[in-house]
Amino acid sequence: MAIAEDKRRLALRVTVIQVVVSVAFLALVGGFWFFQVGQHAKFKEMAENNHQRTLPLRAPRGIIFDRHDRVLVENRNSFNISILREQSKDIEQTIRMLAELTRTAEFDMQDTVARHRGEPSYRPIVVLQNATLDQVAAVVSRRHELPDVLVQEVPTRQYPSESMAAHLVGYVGEANEAQVAKSGYSLGTIVGQTGVEKNYNEYLMGQDGARRVVVNSLGREISELGEEMPVEGRALRLTIDYDMQKALEEAYRFYKYTGAAAFIDPNNGDVLAMTSLPAYDPNQFAVGIDTATWTGLNKDPLRPLNNRLIQGTYPPGSTFKILMAVVGLQEGIITPASRVHCSGGGTFYGRYFQCHKKGGHGSVDLRHAIEKSCNVYFYTIGARLGNKIDLVHKWAERVGLSGRTGIDLPNEVPSFIASSEWSKRVRKQPWYPGETVSVSIGQGAVAVTPIGLAMFAATIANGGTLYEPHLVREVFDGTAWKPVPRPEPRSRSSMDPEHVKAIHEGMWMVVNAAGTGGRARMPGYDVAGKTGTAQANISLENLKRLSGDAARRFRDHGWWIFYAPSTKPEIAGVVFTENSEHGYLGAPIAKHVLETYFAKKEKRPLPVLTDPNAPSPTLPARGAAAVPGAGGGR
Amino acid sequence: MLERRLYYHIDWALIAALAALCAIGMAMIYSTTGGPTKLYWTQVYAVGLGVLVMIAAGMVDYRTLADKSHILYIGLVLSLVAVMFVGSKQMGAQRWLDLGFFNLQPSEFAKATIALVLAKLLGESRRQSLSNNELLIAAVLTAIPVMLIARQPDLGTAVTCLPILLVVTFAAGLPLKYLAAVSVVAVLTMPLAWQFALEDYQKERIETFLDPEKDSRGAGYQQIQARITVGSGGVWGKGFRQGTQGQLRFLPVAHNDFIFSVLAEEQGFVGVIVALGLYLFVIMRSLDAAKLAKDRLGSYLVLGVLATFTFQVIYNITMSAGLAPVKGLTLPLMSYGGSSMIATLAGFGLILNVRMRRFTN
Repeated sequence: MAIAEDKRRLALRVTVIQVVVSVAFLALVGGFWFFQVGQHAKFKEMAENNHQRTLPLRAPRGIIFDRHDRVLVENRNSFNISILREQSKDIEQTIRMLAELTRTAEFDMQDTVARHRGEPSYRPIVVLQNATLDQVAAVVSRRHELPDVLVQEVPTRQYPSESMAAHLVGYVGEANEAQVAKSGYSLGTIVGQTGVEKNYNEYLMGQDGARRVVVNSLGREISELGEEMPVEGRALRLTIDYDMQKALEEAYRFYKYTGAAAFIDPNNGDVLAMTSLPAYDPNQFAVGIDTATWTGLNKDPLRPLNNRLIQGTYPPGSTFKILMAVVGLQEGIITPASRVHCSGGGTFYGRYFQCHKKGGHGSVDLRHAIEKSCNVYFYTIGARLGNKIDLVHKWAERVGLSGRTGIDLPNEVPSFIASSEWSKRVRKQPWYPGETVSVSIGQGAVAVTPIGLAMFAATIANGGTLYEPHLVREVFDGTAWKPVPRPEPRSRSSMDPEHVKAIHEGMWMVVNAAGTGGRARMPGYDVAGKTGTAQANISLENLKRLSGDAARRFRDHGWWIFYAPSTKPEIAGVVFTENSEHGYLGAPIAKHVLETYFAKKEKRPLPVLTDPNAPSPTLPARGAAAVPGAGGGR
Repeated sequence: MLERRLYYHIDWALIAALAALCAIGMAMIYSTTGGPTKLYWTQVYAVGLGVLVMIAAGMVDYRTLADKSHILYIGLVLSLVAVMFVGSKQMGAQRWLDLGFFNLQPSEFAKATIALVLAKLLGESRRQSLSNNELLIAAVLTAIPVMLIARQPDLGTAVTCLPILLVVTFAAGLPLKYLAAVSVVAVLTMPLAWQFALEDYQKERIETFLDPEKDSRGAGYQQIQARITVGSGGVWGKGFRQGTQGQLRFLPVAHNDFIFSVLAEEQGFVGVIVALGLYLFVIMRSLDAAKLAKDRLGSYLVLGVLATFTFQVIYNITMSAGLAPVKGLTLPLMSYGGSSMIATLAGFGLILNVRMRRFTN
């Protein structure tokens, strides 16, 4: 029957359709099983990343106080404008619009975004730090067109004005890749990059918090899932005295010098004031320094980023004579009463060495040799030592003039004092006795940091105990101030008190008798000290070709080491003045700081610098005495 | 008109499954659009209207309807032409006729009408097998409305009409060699079609489907989001109105094309199995009706209506899992859309019609 066959064929074909449909449905079940059961975890996370956003909440860093609880570094609130690439439809367009709204360079923003390209796209890239209220208002008013832009209020470091204490406190910045790898900070974390900020970063940093929020597909916040409050960093109390720090930098500016200085309590190593000038403005770093400023700082011939106090090494000049006195006395080469006749120079090991006084000092003992800074006296000690340079090296180590001082600042450079081992290993030649004669007035194979000389001055002042200089007294642990333990004295060298007394008397005479440091004299306060000149590295011929500022930059540097009061020293240190030519020109700077110190101690009004005849440096003709290698001591 | 006898042959099981699917759809629209909004109520009214149309389509004997199919067909073509000239434009396409109270989408009714016309043409043929002539006429009758719809442009709806021709002619005895030939030609012309026939945006959609990451912000976005939506649902789902993907609008047109993704997100794999089971039941039950039909006309009519329904269900669900290129194809019975709902229920009215009249003369 045709109809029956027809029916059968239809039924068969419908069955085929049923099978096809069943297979398709089975495949769908399989597909949904794969996504919903097999890969559920992966997609669940993707869905969460879609709608949950973690906004970092930056923790304020710990406040830095001076020793009398005066605020040195604090925090203020500033606005950061960031791009959240996760939400960007067209990032170029966003950058263009942002740059236009904030009137900033589009290129800089592109550059910033390019630098952070490798980071996860849900991490906001800060393209503008420290935005002004106008900029914030402009961006917020166009919010709906910029769903991928985030404006956040963040705590930002506020450093003192006029770059005060810049090299001391340092600055902060985003953790770089090396720091991320080494310390496990997350990218974008603000960490100390130098100074106290870096050395005590673990205390100061605190703990960043986070806010987890739900956002919709337009990036708009719908609700909050939770908030982890940031924990403020711990406050530090420094050994620094705000007023002395201010006085120190004011004095440098007043007398128009650059250089470095440190004022230390010789009885424990507390640094009361320290500086290196010129300096940078840490506030520029705190808000993300721009490329132009950074390049400018790096290319500046005056090298403002260089902390001369701990990173510059210079010949110690005549200040080294104090060390030679220690070596001579302790090693039995001289006694305090030993006399040497100075006729303006002398021949040692077949070579003529000049004194800086043409006619000579006549017959001098140790005290007067220090007072007048007589080269011949110390040449004689050097000549008697001969090739025993290692004795000089040994005593330099004991008083802090060799190696690092161990100050709690990053990247300190060691002071260098020659030794026979060094001569053999590095120079591949023996140490010649004649070289010791040069070294005896701080020339030749010796180069020290200003902080090294400050430590040395403190050690001489206290009679031989070597305290490491340090900057932090206490840390606030949330409830109370806890002392940061002072380092144990590195050594208590057994200097004969008689020897110390003789040196002290000589250094007192430098200031208070007919010596080279009369400008440091403070009636009523026995200041003692020693001047020195560090020869700049240029030949006389070349110097003659230069003029003006260029010539000035190659003039010798001045040293002034001191302590006071000489009977019972409370404060010691160094003032290093670049291109001042004479160490005594730094003495007035020290004097101003010491006056501030004593005025404060005695609750008198602080001194003000008003000398109308501040020395304006000019280039005087250089006399024969300045011939390199022959009598730099003044 | 409805005899008491017929009442006993109404397929209540099929109706229950249809009702369940509509209810799930409405619940998902309620969830994803944020409560009893205008969209939700529009859908409720559409279901109500659809039920009325379904009853109407079931009451009149399908043979009577088939006899008048040429009138319906001409009406369809005329309304499609009207859309070309006076249709209202939405989202870049001219698909709707503004009837004042309702935006009618004539292309949705093309499916049932084509099914009716083809069933009439082939079901009343005296021949034992399909002649080439009949095949040609069937193809032309299908092609006219399809091309009109494709020009709107609404390639999705146009394509859904093609399975009607395929399935009905297959049932009518389309020689298998033709089927093979069509497949071969299709495969061979694919590169040519790629080169000449497809618009750039269409190519882009297909390219994006093959590699969604390439354009994760643009066309690939929906596909990636669809997979995230489905995958994040897990076995038990995130709960009613708790789906983050649909609720927070990461998935575009969630109440429409991606309603099944929302179901998968909020009700999980379990909800997916239930919904797939219901759809499979509806299809199998209707195929039974095709087998039981009193005459070829009835069988073909059921198959024609079912062809477009099944194709759309499978394609949309595949797409909602991010496994097929994104097309503006709705999920019948669940997606938001009045015309689609009414047309679909009208089609099932015809299927019920055929089944309950299987014993009548």
